[in-house]
Amino acid sequence: MRALMGFPLCCSLLALAVPSTAASAQEAPVATVKVTTTRDPVDKSYRKMIKGMERFEREHALSPAASLRFQLLPRTHDVDMTGITLRVAGDTVSLKVPVESDNSFILPRNEGALREDAAVLANRKTTSMTWRAAIETPGLPPGTRRLGDLRLECRVGVEAGLVSNSSPLFGWLSNALTTADGVCNSPEGNYLFFAERPLFGVRLRHGERSEVLPFHMLYAGGIQTPEMLPFCDCQVLLDRTYYVPLWDKNWPDDTLVEFDYMVDTPQVAP
Amino acid sequence: MNTRALLLSLAVMAGCATGNVPTGTQAPAERLAAAVVPGHTTKADLLASFGKTKTVVFSSGYEAWLYQSPAGGGRFAEFVILLDPAGVVTKTRQRPPSAP
Repeated sequence: MRALMGFPLCCSLLALAVPSTAASAQEAPVATVKVTTTRDPVDKSYRKMIKGMERFEREHALSPAASLRFQLLPRTHDVDMTGITLRVAGDTVSLKVPVESDNSFILPRNEGALREDAAVLANRKTTSMTWRAAIETPGLPPGTRRLGDLRLECRVGVEAGLVSNSSPLFGWLSNALTTADGVCNSPEGNYLFFAERPLFGVRLRHGERSEVLPFHMLYAGGIQTPEMLPFCDCQVLLDRTYYVPLWDKNWPDDTLVEFDYMVDTPQVAP
Repeated sequence: MNTRALLLSLAVMAGCATGNVPTGTQAPAERLAAAVVPGHTTKADLLASFGKTKTVVFSSGYEAWLYQSPAGGGRFAEFVILLDPAGVVTKTRQRPPSAP
């Protein structure tokens, strides 16, 4: 079950790929309906994302020095990750959300958008990107993360519906596998994280104790075949993916997660 | 839709999947440490000396290979090798066997 959290994300694509059974050959009079806005089934729910933000506030003790941002990440090779615009769209509400150059953003709270059950929309195909919470304690050594930050990222990310399975076909499964408590407190509920750069190894360190994570906690479990990869949101970030033992209370929140990158120093373009 | 991919994904989602822990070809740790030299050893050398093993191939052309070394009590140490797109070893790392 190592890669389960990678797969609910895949479900949306699977659902899109399942052939429709609706008959299209029958000719019948068609009523005209004016559609002012459309919601892609994979667009993010504003209400859910606000719930994620509320969870962040409730469990801020996991990461007391950090603030919450959300981040957009590439899912397909051809997506242009520059100049992305984002908005919250309800029936009448439309809010522009500023996106930073690293594609992170802060979601504003708006009662009208909540009331209208608005969607959070990017100007990219929804299946071309994936979303994560970004909670990072300032001042950490380069190439490290803090386990408490990652624990909170998982809880917020799942609560906010960033790991989404919107297909009715898989809805029952999604509910069972994507509750924040189920995912983030269980060895079976692995939540995929993405490092800044391609990874070769990951080590946990707290005080005198340290441990290199096993191979199967990198690269989305190392089980992705070329056939499966297009259905995983790690599709183009496979070499940056890792799991950490969020559930293991023997590793305190202050544990450092240290990265050994494939290439030691970032290559600078000539 | 690729039916096989769909069924495979469903199986994993339903908790039916096995093999979540990659299994690498077994080789003695000392032999691996002595024979695999970053900047020198190639993919062909690895195949000739240790055989095929668990491999993850990335879109960048890099590959991560996993060999496992028996450590007694059913435990295994890991020897992980990074190959660059030219097929040359650039890094290795070892992970001691987990505590029983």
